[in-house]
Amino acid sequence: MREELLWVEKYRPKKIADVIGNEEAKAAFVEWLKNKCHTKKAILLYGPPGVGKTTLVNSAGNEFGFRVIEMNASDTRSEKAINAVAGPATSFIALDTFSTESKGNILFMDEVDGIAGNEDRGGVSAIVRIVEESRIPVIMAANDPDLQKLRPLKKVAALVRFHQVRIPLIIAMLQKICQKEHIRTEFEALEHIAENSRGDVRSAINDLQSLAETSKTLTLQDTVVLSARNKDISMDETLRSYFSAESLLEAAMMLSRSSVDYDDLLMAVGDNLPLRYTDPADLAEAYDFVSQADMYRGRIGVENWHLLKYFFNSLSEAAAVSPESYKPFTFISPPIRVITLFWTKGKRAMLEAICSKIGKKCHVSRATAKQDVIPFLKLALANQKTASTVSWLELQPDEVDFLTRMNKL
Amino acid sequence: MVVLNKKSFRLPRVEKEKFILLLRLGLNYNREQGIFCVANYNNIEKLTDTLSSILNVDEVLFAQTCMTCGKDFPCSDCKYQSSCATKNLPFQCVCPQCLREERTSEKPVQSKPF
Repeated sequence: MREELLWVEKYRPKKIADVIGNEEAKAAFVEWLKNKCHTKKAILLYGPPGVGKTTLVNSAGNEFGFRVIEMNASDTRSEKAINAVAGPATSFIALDTFSTESKGNILFMDEVDGIAGNEDRGGVSAIVRIVEESRIPVIMAANDPDLQKLRPLKKVAALVRFHQVRIPLIIAMLQKICQKEHIRTEFEALEHIAENSRGDVRSAINDLQSLAETSKTLTLQDTVVLSARNKDISMDETLRSYFSAESLLEAAMMLSRSSVDYDDLLMAVGDNLPLRYTDPADLAEAYDFVSQADMYRGRIGVENWHLLKYFFNSLSEAAAVSPESYKPFTFISPPIRVITLFWTKGKRAMLEAICSKIGKKCHVSRATAKQDVIPFLKLALANQKTASTVSWLELQPDEVDFLTRMNKL
Repeated sequence: MVVLNKKSFRLPRVEKEKFILLLRLGLNYNREQGIFCVANYNNIEKLTDTLSSILNVDEVLFAQTCMTCGKDFPCSDCKYQSSCATKNLPFQCVCPQCLREERTSEKPVQSKPF
């Protein structure tokens, strides 16, 4: 049974000193945890996945005698669910702190970037309230702290950034695991696994385990099967590789390695095809393949990932309809949706602000305000019968002006 | 190119706004000794950019501290620098020599008897 344990769990550090890399972040976190008079009651650990955020919290809990109450915020998204779990945990002090060596509880909310940020569901505001009222330290972890919805959290929490773990440190750790598992390895094999992991310790250990499953000897040759983890391949890079691929297989490989959103990818390919084909017939055929890929994307949904290869294959065929009619070009257009979102950012923010005001006054969500109230308001503005409504909704002159102009468009 | 030690380095006199910016980006200033040190690593990339503009150089590099032997060493000695996302930033690492030594001291592990 023990043999079946995942090595990431089996070799999960129990002490802070055993967590590799990010020494500076570890020091900052320990300093915060030791300091009883926190300047901020919560701390937000952020950084790429697999660099030791969760491990550090658990090992610190072990070492300092705290009981870690863990809550994955991406599972518990709404205000109600968060309050149900975190509310009692933070408002009472555990009885065993008086009788045992336990120093009490700490609340750990992992993946807070997965919570619902909008006012309608109130996930973020619930966490802010919990932090403000909490009697125990609150620790949060996130991959991307720059999300708009996490801004309120950043105001109430001390921030500690985690970076990718450096390759020499990963190699040293893999060596230790190999020694404990009695695996004979070539140094170059470990080097390749570590480089391939791109600073993600968890994936490096998983790769090592998967490679060492069949044999107790690991050579560089064995690691060739590991495909590169292209975490940082941007949309532009993906499209360039995709359009310059020399075979269908290569194009499909490029697409499968990329980490960009598949819906965005589909749109970006569609937007770039007219730049690629000179012959309208070829272009039409290419669009047929894109629509086929779109159909597969729809069928994949969120669970039928076994259909993903058909999505990639159809999309690859769109790039290889007729290599003879390829137009040599260097410009790769970003998805038009992205450009549109960029240009309309200010307008959307204004509309959101108006909907927010309507929502507060009419006790409806912003979405309902946008869908049900705004059309009537625009109509009323067009008929200039809105003076009392405008003052009741506390709309500013620029917001009224925006709605009026929106009406004319 | 200038190589700095994250624990103590001196800078030319800067304007008040620049000084405040440096402190906001994570530097600490020891007024008695007139030296700076890196205290917060959250904005380390912005900090190096600001330092390079103050020192009027293309690039500011930080010496690395080896976790095994404690010596300072530059990233240029490391063979993984092309694939390192945090090269030249003041984080702890393992120096090439220690890594080599670990490699040579590695003994073939005897497989378990059946």
